[in-house]
Amino acid sequence: MKERAAAAARWLARTAAVILLVLVGTTALVRFAPGYFSDAREMDARYAAIARAELSAEAAGSRTLGQILGAEIGELLRGSSGVSRQFDVPVWELVEPRLAVSGALLLRGIALAWALAVCASLLSSAGRNPSLLWHVPAAILLAVPAAALATLCLLLNSGGPVLVMALLLAARDFKFLHRALRTAWLDPHILHARAQGIRTRDLLRAHLLPALAPQLSALASLSIVTALSALVPIEVIFNVPGLGELAWNAAINRDLPVLLAVTMIMAVAVTCAGMGSHRSATWRDA
Amino acid sequence: MSMRVSRLTLLAFAALLLPMARTAAAQAASRLPGELVWTIGYDPKTFDPAKVDDQESETVRYLTAGVLLRFNRLTQQVEPELAQNWTVSPDGRTLRFTLRPGLEFSDGSSLSARDVVWSLRRVLLPATQAPVADEFLTPARVSVEAVNDRTVVVHLPQRVIGIGKVFDEIAIEPAGRPSEGRVTSGPFFVNDYLRSQYVRLRRNPHFFRKDATGRALPYASGIRLDILENTEQEIRLFLRGDYDLIDSLPPDYFALLAKRSPGSARDLGPSLNTEQMWFNQSPASPLPGWEKAWFRSHAFRVAVSQAIHRDDLARIAYDGHATPAYSFTSPANTVWYDRALTAPHTDVAAAQAALAAAGFRRQGSVLLGPDGHPVRFSILTNTGNAARSKMATLIQQDLAALGMQVTVVTLDFPALIDRLMNTQNYEACLLGLENVDPDPNAMMNLWLSSSPNHQWDPSEKTPATPWEAEIDRLMHLQASTGSDAIRRKAVNRVQQIVANEQPFIYLVYPNLLVAASPRLEGVRPAVLEPHLTWNADSLQLRGAQ
Amino acid sequence: MSLRRGALWVLVGLILTAGAVVARPGASYAHQDREATLAGSSMQHPAGTDDFGRDRLIRVSAALLISLTGSIVGAALTTAAAAGVGTLAAFGPKVVGWSTMLVCDAFLALPWMFLLMMVRSALPFTMSPAHSAAITFLVLAALGWPACARAVYRGAVAQRTSGWMLHARATGLHRTQMIRYLLPNLLSLLLPQFLVSIPAFVIAEANLGALGLGISEPLPSWGGMLFELNNSAMLLETRWVFFPLALLVVVLLALEGTAAEA
Repeated sequence: MKERAAAAARWLARTAAVILLVLVGTTALVRFAPGYFSDAREMDARYAAIARAELSAEAAGSRTLGQILGAEIGELLRGSSGVSRQFDVPVWELVEPRLAVSGALLLRGIALAWALAVCASLLSSAGRNPSLLWHVPAAILLAVPAAALATLCLLLNSGGPVLVMALLLAARDFKFLHRALRTAWLDPHILHARAQGIRTRDLLRAHLLPALAPQLSALASLSIVTALSALVPIEVIFNVPGLGELAWNAAINRDLPVLLAVTMIMAVAVTCAGMGSHRSATWRDA
Repeated sequence: MSMRVSRLTLLAFAALLLPMARTAAAQAASRLPGELVWTIGYDPKTFDPAKVDDQESETVRYLTAGVLLRFNRLTQQVEPELAQNWTVSPDGRTLRFTLRPGLEFSDGSSLSARDVVWSLRRVLLPATQAPVADEFLTPARVSVEAVNDRTVVVHLPQRVIGIGKVFDEIAIEPAGRPSEGRVTSGPFFVNDYLRSQYVRLRRNPHFFRKDATGRALPYASGIRLDILENTEQEIRLFLRGDYDLIDSLPPDYFALLAKRSPGSARDLGPSLNTEQMWFNQSPASPLPGWEKAWFRSHAFRVAVSQAIHRDDLARIAYDGHATPAYSFTSPANTVWYDRALTAPHTDVAAAQAALAAAGFRRQGSVLLGPDGHPVRFSILTNTGNAARSKMATLIQQDLAALGMQVTVVTLDFPALIDRLMNTQNYEACLLGLENVDPDPNAMMNLWLSSSPNHQWDPSEKTPATPWEAEIDRLMHLQASTGSDAIRRKAVNRVQQIVANEQPFIYLVYPNLLVAASPRLEGVRPAVLEPHLTWNADSLQLRGAQ
Repeated sequence: MSLRRGALWVLVGLILTAGAVVARPGASYAHQDREATLAGSSMQHPAGTDDFGRDRLIRVSAALLISLTGSIVGAALTTAAAAGVGTLAAFGPKVVGWSTMLVCDAFLALPWMFLLMMVRSALPFTMSPAHSAAITFLVLAALGWPACARAVYRGAVAQRTSGWMLHARATGLHRTQMIRYLLPNLLSLLLPQFLVSIPAFVIAEANLGALGLGISEPLPSWGGMLFELNNSAMLLETRWVFFPLALLVVVLLALEGTAAEA
């Protein structure tokens, strides 16, 4: 019990440290990237004057990085998420309805991707030679940009963000799984067991999967990170009202408070992904 | 044997999971009976008609606001709207509006002069920060009075050119009850808004206007504006019949749409917009001195202009849906287009001769400046506009014929504006200018040398050259005179100076490309924005009653 | 064995052919034949022309050489960095491992797009397209390693507690020596990472074009050609837009085949 509490405390401390790093990094990156104090409306005769007035008011109130960070951390501690720079509404109002959308997309995409990749790699690695039947589709999926895959979906009028996400991930996961399984199948003691006529199912359960567990868990966290980075293009292309689309809009509008919120959620997701795989690895060692 | 069984199990498992992926791509929300649907590019920043300061808020205001006068986008004439008639005194300083009888707001309450006075005063009040107030030049000194229930008088301290159009942008709201578009005197009102999804407008049952047969307008029961930035999605949903129109169609999709849905895509000829390129002439820029000298050289700018094959730009970058441009007024601007204008046309030999005369010389394939430095510069343009990037690539090759080495750089809009407005660290820039108003008076802040939007050398303290001083004088003249003949002469002269000096090298007028569903009735495309929806109250789907 | 040799020959053959096409006298990847835009296959242009009337075969060949070099070097660098960081973190002191993984996690969540913008604004606009390409692939390599480093770390930690490692330690093998034996065990992670990174970098390079980096015109970019597939209007225009994609698939399969028995 005590151990578990200590582990939880360690995890919390670690997450807090990551969030702090992300907070500092994001603020520095966004604030000093070109275009923070500019507005597309400056080019429009109708709105140039008002846009410029807003910007100069903001620039006058803008401070050093340390002060900005102090204000942000103060707001976080007070439990407020800040106010969006482009929409003038509390950030949480923008983020909250999108969490579930992106979460569902990620979960379904990853689940489907793993199902496809595991099936494909079991089938392909068990064969005598690496079969083109599995490698050609994987290569095509790796070579096609996400946007092109989405365009194809639109043209064919079928499939959606989940399918595109799943296919993109499945192709990557397949590459790793295929090789891991192939090495495992060719392991002398497995070859021996196969020669003795032990059933494939038993082999998988008793020998292959346990031997692969650490690799699989490492791969799982890799796959989650890949999925997170694929979230932005997929949501933008399919116009999914999720966090990725929000992040993209915030980035092109230099909406620092929203970007901070999204990157902090990303940080938590990434640490959780690492954590989950670590758990399963230690569980196996025990 | 066991292997085969496990394979079958695996395949069955995968097949079972596949339906999970069948959630289709973003589906448009379902259409209400009699509703029209199209898209806007981003979330409107405000629904308060007085505070509109971006394009999409303007779209919503146009569809919802009841205004005293409407600038008819088709005839380009100011017409009485909520006002039955209006008069301007000979000195241009007193305006008198008489309201139509029996006007009502969308909630059924009556609309009187009191509401008009309140709405106008609210816009003029500095606390409101209404962008439109600036168009009165001195908003603080404008007075608004109600003479009686149906008459309103506005006193201006000085004549304002095109004052009628200003009232096209001022919504009349119920006095003391600003509602952010929920209670309006226009054809529609804002019913609900789901951030980043859609804005839904409903028909105003109390709108005053009726069609020729006496049927109350608007025809449509409402309008849904889906918030969608992605052209691929927009085209797909249009082809499926989910969207009824596309107000501005990118040129590369025109052929696709013409093939997939014959008759829906239309090329209406040159728009009012221009695409142009300019060199950075700002003395404050961090460019090396010799580059600044090239860009300030008249011969250099004219040579570049002569080397560009504008026909190729229109044909290749716009797939033929653009018209070569030599001036800031487009042929679509029937009132102000100057046929007598002379401008440098494509002539590579003349360009080479002019450069040689100005001290530039060729060394092999490289052009050297009078200072001995190879002529090498970059053209900056924004990301996400395929036609612009293509034009830059074509110009790159055109200028290579003169021995100029050009690199093309695309930046996202904020970073680009940072370069143009703040650091001025760029050499040449290729951008477009959207003209929403055909009157050249709307371009004041582009041509006045003191303006921050005087792009080639922003915010000059005093005009840097005699011709810029001349443009300043002519623009002030056209803004203050009451005589149309003097205005026309002044504006024509500005066009000729710009054509001679080439501070902006005009490239093309992109054509106005729109698409409307064959089921949509009442479409009368206009060259002014909003091209297809300016008469939204008369649009309806065939069979929808 | 024969598969591996065959795949290697395919790769070498492709590269030699591309080199020959590009080096052929009179071949120019930048020349615009504006009267023959989006032309089909002909004697003069075997793979047709692009929307500027430039020869597609020459452009694809040049792009193959440029993007393949860039992405292979980039992928090798990023995989090596991941292997190095991951094993060091696993075998170094616990504090080092802990903090390295902490930095990796933070690294993965940061919006690097803005760093790329800063990189762009620090470079001169008149930088030649070749320099821009080289910098882009280096930047990609510098940003690509953390996800894989984390996986390597997990794998290496698992190996550290495995039977053979305990045995090796018991027999007094030195840490640095053990790393030598460790790497082959991590190959099933590193090799796919390397292979997956190559197409990812080819595509990512074109993405960076939006920020002013990437391989700029008139140099041909493989990623840029793949991006033509994003546009449904382009897809319906000519079948030749699939040519760069087909070639990339062949290259990927050949690379996979070459690495198959490793």
